[in-house]
Amino acid sequence: MKKFIIALFCLCSFSYATEYDPIRGEMLSLSCASCHGTDGKSKTITPYIAGMSKTGMYQILLDYKYGKREGTMMQKHVKGFLDEELEQIAYYFSKVQR
Amino acid sequence: MINRRHFNKILVGSVALSFAACSSITSVSLPTDKKRVVIVGGGFGGATAAKYLKKFSPETEVILIEQNKEYYTCPFGNTVIAGLNDIEYIKHNYKTLESKYKIKVIHEKVKKVDGETNTVILENGEKIAYHRAIVSPGIDFKYEKGYVKGSEQYSPHAYKAGAQTLLLRKQLEEMKDGGTYVMVAPANPFRCPPGPYERISLVANYLKKNKPNSKIIILDQKNKFSKQGLFQEGWEKLYKDMIEWRSAEFGGEVLEVDPKNRIIKTEDEDVKADVLNYIPNQKAGKLAFDSGLTDGDWCPVNTKTFESKLIKNIHVIGDASIASKMPKSGFSANSQAKIAALQIVRLLKNKDIVNPPKLANTCYSLIAPNYGITVAAVYEAHEDGIIAVPGAGGLSPMNADESYRIQEAEYAVAWYENQMADIFS
Ligand SMILES: Cc1cc2nc3c(=O)[nH]c(=O)nc-3n(C[C@H](O)[C@H](O)[C@H](O)COP(=O)(O)OP(=O)(O)OC[C@H]3O[C@@H](n4cnc5c(N)ncnc54)[C@H](O)[C@@H]3O)c2cc1C
Repeated sequence: MKKFIIALFCLCSFSYATEYDPIRGEMLSLSCASCHGTDGKSKTITPYIAGMSKTGMYQILLDYKYGKREGTMMQKHVKGFLDEELEQIAYYFSKVQR
Repeated sequence: MINRRHFNKILVGSVALSFAACSSITSVSLPTDKKRVVIVGGGFGGATAAKYLKKFSPETEVILIEQNKEYYTCPFGNTVIAGLNDIEYIKHNYKTLESKYKIKVIHEKVKKVDGETNTVILENGEKIAYHRAIVSPGIDFKYEKGYVKGSEQYSPHAYKAGAQTLLLRKQLEEMKDGGTYVMVAPANPFRCPPGPYERISLVANYLKKNKPNSKIIILDQKNKFSKQGLFQEGWEKLYKDMIEWRSAEFGGEVLEVDPKNRIIKTEDEDVKADVLNYIPNQKAGKLAFDSGLTDGDWCPVNTKTFESKLIKNIHVIGDASIASKMPKSGFSANSQAKIAALQIVRLLKNKDIVNPPKLANTCYSLIAPNYGITVAAVYEAHEDGIIAVPGAGGLSPMNADESYRIQEAEYAVAWYENQMADIFS
């Protein structure tokens, strides 16, 4: 049953149900900036995420959250956000100039 | 005599001009055409808040008051003590905040933030009015059991970075092979829960290379510590038998200390140290007490906005605040500062605050230069405080392979450098 729900979640990720809320998006992005740099403009080996495609970033975040991707840190953080919040985060960074 | 309008113009025109140059002015009144936020303390909390206030609202006047021209971070300070980095690596300044973000930076000591008159009072007598203030003064020490002010010149705490970091490094370098390095680790709550144990790890790394017959004793004022399993696994692997940890209930509790002669009296014995790294118990920075922002040792705040529960229009962030589940870390202070800045901008514009705010923390520790471990959490602020979001966060795995530890060490450096850029550039 659990697997089925996860599969459903992943499918949903391709329908952009959520509307962009710039204030929430910005607030949620602040947690990312501590490691990825202000507005995601990393100066180190931490990935540069400013201006990433919204769809691509959202999918990566979901993959971390649902165990399809592993890292040392990311999966621990994304599990703290609802899918809709991850989508807001992806929206936010997609709108930042690279 | 310069009139106030002229004075304000000078300030806007020349950000480099310091307030001290205008010391004939005893009171700087509020601008009528914009809002002013005054921030006291230019560390992880205060400097981040200053930058993000300007980022969210460039039209707001932001004044940052920090007593020192340079800021030395405690994070990565342990690598300096152990000779892995030079002190320059942890040194930062406020020039970019001034030039790029148009923040007025004043290097003076603040006597008190006066919530009745909404003014910040400097030690030189000047007063600066604010619409809202942010206070991020960090910690101060409790002087007890024979460790008094001045003891740090013999037995450094190195728990505020800079001169103390260099003193401890020097003492370590001068210690004889076969000597004993003793750390007294503080009771909860204190700045950076894994900090003392990261330090022990890196000191052991130094001793193993340079003075392999030496030993380390930790006299702990508590019975367990942050990332304990991971640290002890690393110690066993890398520094076998060099480190002895004594919990409070099994011989660690300090009864009295003689910092000059480096003797610590415990229930079991008098421990004699060649280097004594005494980290006292802690409380909020003095400014918080002098401004009436404390209840007990720390500052109670509304965790959605970080506004003091005791005095309106003053926000307390960083180590000095009571942020429920969030540890006293630089990462936490940075996260809190951004949320406080966001909410303050909304409050100044009479808009609803963002609800509920989310915050985060990650603490990297190095057990060796190529051996990192972490703990992380995501938080949400509720009416009665900050909770860790269930299911998120956690520790590095036990028994991880070498490449995993190397990767975490690399990410520790990456975090530090991005975090510094997020604050100071
Ligand atoms: C050994 C060690 C290792 C650490 N490692 C990490 C780590 O890896 N990661 C991490 O996230 N955190 C780490 N920390 C914790 C981190 O240093 C603190 O949590 C952080 O500095 C707190 O920020 P703050 O703004 O509250 O205080 P601070 O950074 O201490 O800033 C306070 C500032 O206020 C100024 N100030 C105080 N009073 C006045 C006054 N009256 N007038 C003018 N200025 C004033 C001070 O000069 C200071 O610059 C470590 C700490 C230690 C000791």
